Amino acid sequence: MDSLWSVIWSTDFAFSILRVTTPILFAALGALISNRAGIINIGLEGIMLVAALTGVVTSAYTHSAWVGLLCAVLSGVMIAGILAFFTLQFKTHIILGGIAINMFASGGTVFFLYLLSGDKGASSSLQSKVLPNVDIPLLKDVPVLGPILSGHNVLTYASIAAVFAVYYMMKRTPLGLRIRSVGENPHAAQSVGVSVVRTQYTALLLSGLLAGLGGAYMSMGYLSLFTRDMTAGRGWIAIAAESMGRSTTVGTTLTSFLFGAANALANALTVLKIPSELIATFPYAATVIGLLVYAIGESRKRKKAAVKPNEG
Amino acid sequence: MKRKKGLLLATLAVVLLLSACSGGNGGGNASESADSGGASSPAESGKKTKVVLLVPGNLGDKSFFDAANRGMDLLKEQLGAETKVIEMGTDKTKWEPTVNDIASQDWDFILSGGADITEVFNAAAEAYPDKKFIDYDTENPEVPDNVYAMSYATNEVSFLAGAVAALTTKSSMPQANPDNVIGFLGGMDIPGINTFLVGYIEGAKYVDPDVKVAVSYAGSFSDPAKGKELSLVEYNSGVDVIFNVAGGTGLGVFDAAKEKKQYAIGVDSDQAMLMKDSDSEKANLIVTSAIKKIDTAILGAVKKGQEGTLPYGTLERMGFEQDGVGLADNEIYKSVFPADLQAKIEDIKKKLAAKEITVTDASAMETSKVEEIRNSVKP
Repeated sequence: MDSLWSVIWSTDFAFSILRVTTPILFAALGALISNRAGIINIGLEGIMLVAALTGVVTSAYTHSAWVGLLCAVLSGVMIAGILAFFTLQFKTHIILGGIAINMFASGGTVFFLYLLSGDKGASSSLQSKVLPNVDIPLLKDVPVLGPILSGHNVLTYASIAAVFAVYYMMKRTPLGLRIRSVGENPHAAQSVGVSVVRTQYTALLLSGLLAGLGGAYMSMGYLSLFTRDMTAGRGWIAIAAESMGRSTTVGTTLTSFLFGAANALANALTVLKIPSELIATFPYAATVIGLLVYAIGESRKRKKAAVKPNEG
Repeated sequence: MKRKKGLLLATLAVVLLLSACSGGNGGGNASESADSGGASSPAESGKKTKVVLLVPGNLGDKSFFDAANRGMDLLKEQLGAETKVIEMGTDKTKWEPTVNDIASQDWDFILSGGADITEVFNAAAEAYPDKKFIDYDTENPEVPDNVYAMSYATNEVSFLAGAVAALTTKSSMPQANPDNVIGFLGGMDIPGINTFLVGYIEGAKYVDPDVKVAVSYAGSFSDPAKGKELSLVEYNSGVDVIFNVAGGTGLGVFDAAKEKKQYAIGVDSDQAMLMKDSDSEKANLIVTSAIKKIDTAILGAVKKGQEGTLPYGTLERMGFEQDGVGLADNEIYKSVFPADLQAKIEDIKKKLAAKEITVTDASAMETSKVEEIRNSVKP
């Protein structure tokens, strides 16, 4: 058991939690914004994948990681825009639209990768750029905290900043208020002059932007290349994190970190004498426990609502 | 007018999207997919040998399927054969109709390989007894009379990889640390991967009986981020060289190696050469790669088939003697890995070819036995 503690109580482990959580957190915040506006964006996985490829390709051709990042984010917004166009303009069912985006991304990224690099599996023949890691002055010299919090990829810090930005936007800005009102009662919102479609458009584009950042992190920060289906379900985990966090910014952030920590723990435990099959169940066990907590909370809420029927 | 314009735009967008979709999924669509031969002129080219490769998956894995595809290129260049490559995709339900479809057509040799396809392949061979089939990678010893099957001594080449790793960790190479620990990253905890692992451990212990091996499995062959995380954990625990046998997941190992300035060993293809031009810093940390020579094995088999000397109905094991496996002997290996250690590896190669060293084959080993071996070298 000694070695278990030495694995968990190490700065490397704490550092890895932040690193693992970043893409999940970005996508979960994206899910949150669209969900609060009343449309479930299940195309996050696909959006991340497209953004990951776009970032790699554009950074390789422009020799600039920042241009790559910008294009990756724009591509995320664009795909979300296409999704919004079909679901809001033509009333395609949002779930069908999301599935289409995911399938298009899975096959389409390989197709474009093949067109551009002659390769169907990985972008290792492209000289793509990587976004820098940032050492925070002063903080980096603090024992324990320094090695944990300093030296992360710039997008990891951006994901933390995004948490505050989303929190502020949802709570304190007119846009946040419109998004929440449209999500809770579109007819009421419309009756006071809020354009439901325009608000949902904005929400979907913002969720595309955040998922785009998550995708860019995958291929330009976390890793230095694009590979086929490299997001490997992180967009779906984000949707789970968002719903477990009950669509609140704080809850979503906490559950994202819970998933990140469970994954990091599973990774760290492989060096110990624990059967690999058992370790592989860790993230799922964490999900089950999380859902249990969620279910208990929900049923309590329902009981409360039952006691005070007038407010329901 | 405005509405019409909008409708037109929408139709255009749908058409574009659909065409992009079908293009993207083209790889997975069996019957009308990539023709590497270019010319699809039938009938009159009767003299040319016609060879078709059925890929049970998609090309672009940088290792297994791509190596078979290179074999097809060799056939075209060296034998002037008419070749066609069909990517059957990952949907296994499509494999059987595709294989039967191809078997009913006019092909001289029908090629496929991999543990997943063997059953379907052999069934088709029995249904079409006048056609010739080559299974370029299988472990199944039951081979129909019109099928020639090959397997590779991955345990032997992993033995060499293990020897390289154990020598690296104790060497004076710039990034080697004093800890006597080497690493292994597997895609999944399955017999095919554990064959590599057991060979690797035996090879390492042959060089240095006290060496420790950190082992982890990613549980996926297409999650490079997971591969990087697991590698970082290994490197942080004192490992200074990792052997990856994890397909696309393994690409993450090289990212971790670059970040931590530690060594890695590639698999299936010469992975250092794949990255040499785009990222030389990363390539220089890939000491060598354990290669299955699927391409030359395919060339050799078809050549023998043309001459009529191919022993159908048998499973042949391609080891060092047959030049079926080998270590990547590239410029990086020659410059990074010290010369005196290279000599030691050459010595082991000779002993393997002469059968002076026999390596355990874990492909049919019980799980508990693998577990035992794994635990005996855990750091």
